[in-house]
Amino acid sequence: MATYGRHEQVASAFSTPASTTLFRRLSWEGTVPIEIRVDSKELPANSDRGLECYFIQAPRVSYLPLLIPELKRFLVDVVFDEAAGKAVKEDEWWFESEDGVLMKWHWPIGVLYDNHTISASMKSRATFERQSMPLRLTLHLLSPPTDKLLLSPSAEACKQAFMGQMKEADFLRWGNTKRMTGLRKAEQDGIWEGVKEHNFDDYWRVSSKITPTTTPTRPHSPPPTSISAHSRPPSADGNAPDKDGAYNVRSVPVRMYLPDGPVLQDLAPPTIDDGSPTTLGSFLATHLPLLFTQGRAKAYALIQGVVCPYEAEMAWLGACMAGADGWVNIMVGIERH
Amino acid sequence: ETISALETYKQKDTSRVVVRFKAVGNAPIMKQNFYKITASNRFQTVIQFLRKELGWKAGDPLFTYINLAFSPAPDDMVSNLFRSFQTDGHLIVNYSTTAAWG
Repeated sequence: MATYGRHEQVASAFSTPASTTLFRRLSWEGTVPIEIRVDSKELPANSDRGLECYFIQAPRVSYLPLLIPELKRFLVDVVFDEAAGKAVKEDEWWFESEDGVLMKWHWPIGVLYDNHTISASMKSRATFERQSMPLRLTLHLLSPPTDKLLLSPSAEACKQAFMGQMKEADFLRWGNTKRMTGLRKAEQDGIWEGVKEHNFDDYWRVSSKITPTTTPTRPHSPPPTSISAHSRPPSADGNAPDKDGAYNVRSVPVRMYLPDGPVLQDLAPPTIDDGSPTTLGSFLATHLPLLFTQGRAKAYALIQGVVCPYEAEMAWLGACMAGADGWVNIMVGIERH
Repeated sequence: ETISALETYKQKDTSRVVVRFKAVGNAPIMKQNFYKITASNRFQTVIQFLRKELGWKAGDPLFTYINLAFSPAPDDMVSNLFRSFQTDGHLIVNYSTTAAWG
């Protein structure tokens, strides 16, 4: 038996460092198909119209501004003529979905995709099959609606927004941002480089200092000098509750995205009064009772594109299934029959 | 029934929350620091409101933070920020002319 925080818990397969790394890698490697077409009214003269559609399998944890360099290279090399290629102003670019929904620069790509897919499933009267339909985007080359976008598409603005979200998550967990501000500048930049280059090891090299796990850390006390035949493995040392662990945060950073609706945020303590871990089911029943109470559930919770079981612990989700910015994004969908 | 549930959650929260503005560094202190802001407003609205109260133009540098800790996304709702970060019944918004916590 391993003791985590204030509650007794049988050490399950989901509480090993190997399992944590596995799920973090699965979340990191998740991708979604995107199909990008330049607005035909805005295609410069002499463009090769046969080729103006660009397909990309984009990482869920990445952001649209980070796709712009490769998209620009494609358009300049293959589609635009030389004059148009020189005149490209990617700081005026913006994307909208085929339903006319503006794509926000600071939302992770996976969130944009799931939000669209859920919304489309609500509109379609036909049986919705959860296949990987590409997210079809129209790329506009000018007149961005800045009052609604609120951010520029530059990678620098994206980085600022991303770091802001990481700090907000850090603050939610601990009531301060010491872990983020305690990083050296090279380390802070390293997290963003990891996202930009989509490199799991580079990202987690630093992020593991910030993101708590549900597996206990090795106690720092020296090993016992006499190793008896009944010596226990370090992880079973029950009297060192992992104060930096996922079960001890004030709140797991989490947001709920309603279909075509608001994004809701509220405190998500990792344990309930009796010390047992808060489950996804109880969290959703507390905050969206009309959709998630027993017997009513026609709704489901999509996290990183996966329908999540209600027994999943909020602390574990925060440790293993969050986005690169530390936030667990719960996309609420409605079953259609 | 599910649709009406969604409609309920979509309704704009017209209640108001108390925002407390706190100047940082050389930023001027306002005569009035506590304001009631409609909960469904985006943080961007709060920034624009603050700019107007300070009498600053759109181009003037203005940086805002919650609890001296982080800058929220401008499209985040005040209700969300209040629920997550309120202290003593109000949401502290720090403002400054320079980027304090880069």
